[in-house]
Amino acid sequence: MLEMLVVLLCGSIIASAALAVRLDSVLAAAVSGGLATLFAAVCYVLLGAPDVAMTEASIGSGLSTLILLYAIRRTTEAKE
Amino acid sequence: MSEVAGSILVLIGAFFHFSAGLGMLRMPDAFTRMQAGTKASTLGNALILIGIAFYHPGWSLKLLILIYFVFMTNPVSSHALARAARAIRIPMAGPPPQALASAPAAARDGA
Amino acid sequence: MMQRLPSAIAVLLLALIFATIAIGHAEQTVLRPLAESYVRLVPHELGAPNVITGILLTYRAFDTLGEVAVLFMVAAGVGLVLKEPGKAGARSASDSEAAQPASEIVRTAAQILVPLIAIFAAYIIMNGHISAGGGFQGGAVIASAVLLMLLADPSHKLNSVFLSVTESLAGVLFVLVGIAGLIFAGGFLDNRVLPLGQFGAFFSAGAIPLLSVLLGVKVGCELSVILDRFRA
Repeated sequence: MLEMLVVLLCGSIIASAALAVRLDSVLAAAVSGGLATLFAAVCYVLLGAPDVAMTEASIGSGLSTLILLYAIRRTTEAKE
Repeated sequence: MSEVAGSILVLIGAFFHFSAGLGMLRMPDAFTRMQAGTKASTLGNALILIGIAFYHPGWSLKLLILIYFVFMTNPVSSHALARAARAIRIPMAGPPPQALASAPAAARDGA
Repeated sequence: MMQRLPSAIAVLLLALIFATIAIGHAEQTVLRPLAESYVRLVPHELGAPNVITGILLTYRAFDTLGEVAVLFMVAAGVGLVLKEPGKAGARSASDSEAAQPASEIVRTAAQILVPLIAIFAAYIIMNGHISAGGGFQGGAVIASAVLLMLLADPSHKLNSVFLSVTESLAGVLFVLVGIAGLIFAGGFLDNRVLPLGQFGAFFSAGAIPLLSVLLGVKVGCELSVILDRFRA
């Protein structure tokens, strides 16, 4: 039961990563990358590592995605 | 007995989450999608957490604080998203096809 | 089609490697000898119920010091590459529309939520040795509280000098506690400089809560400074 859930979550990670590659808008691709990190954090909880899950959720899908969004804003501003 | 009530509440909460996802797929416009996603998923969250409180009565205070936190953050973030979508002028969807064909209504929904 | 062929082959080979690992994977039911010795030693010698924090801050504390040094180098590099605002050229035109404050709802909610998140971060840091948590996690949550404050009020200026001084002080104190461990107890960053106390109590496990606090403060200040550099 647990393994099936973990396999489903890993499939979701692959799906959101493929989505991040295929999307046209850079903004949506950055958010999709953060989504993959969120699924990975849930995987870590299911596999019995809450410390790693906390770190991954707050840094990966919180701060890292936001830094990427700030960088996107800076570079699209410079183009205009 | 209380476990059955808790399970029913969790199931109703899951149904609300499902309807949030369905609404996000089927709605025609960015604004209506945000509305469907936020309202239904916030209520679904609250119901699931209340259902868990039936299973573990000792966790009631913590779950109440969690519900308060979800009620504070979910609508505020959706409001910020909708305001940003309005600022970059995402087009709103028009009326459904069998709408009233009166002139004031047709002139109002162009923006 | 032909220019996608090498990348398709690379993805296929990667999938083959992962499939080989996944198919031959059998879940372990007994711990390996090293893991078992850690699980036995950490509550017994260090007095900390959380094995991971015990390993991170005592048995492998030198690696944690190296990680802290890497974070410091990242913050210094970001500060070097991104100049301060006001010195870049054609940014004044877009500054007026980038610095408009968030709406009143977001500002009010941020006023309620930032203290809540800060308390939660303090809880995670201080309970690192009892339940899941520790220094890094708490520092990241503090940085997200600062981020919420910056998002709700874009014209707010962070006091970068204060944050940099605090972060450096926390790093220096970390090394000083380690040297105190060298003088008064078994080795570098040994946690028996402070009394071990009762197992599972709040003030227990020697110097591990102190090291958690220093680590949390350092990581939080660093990430806040990096976010401030990226923001404007």
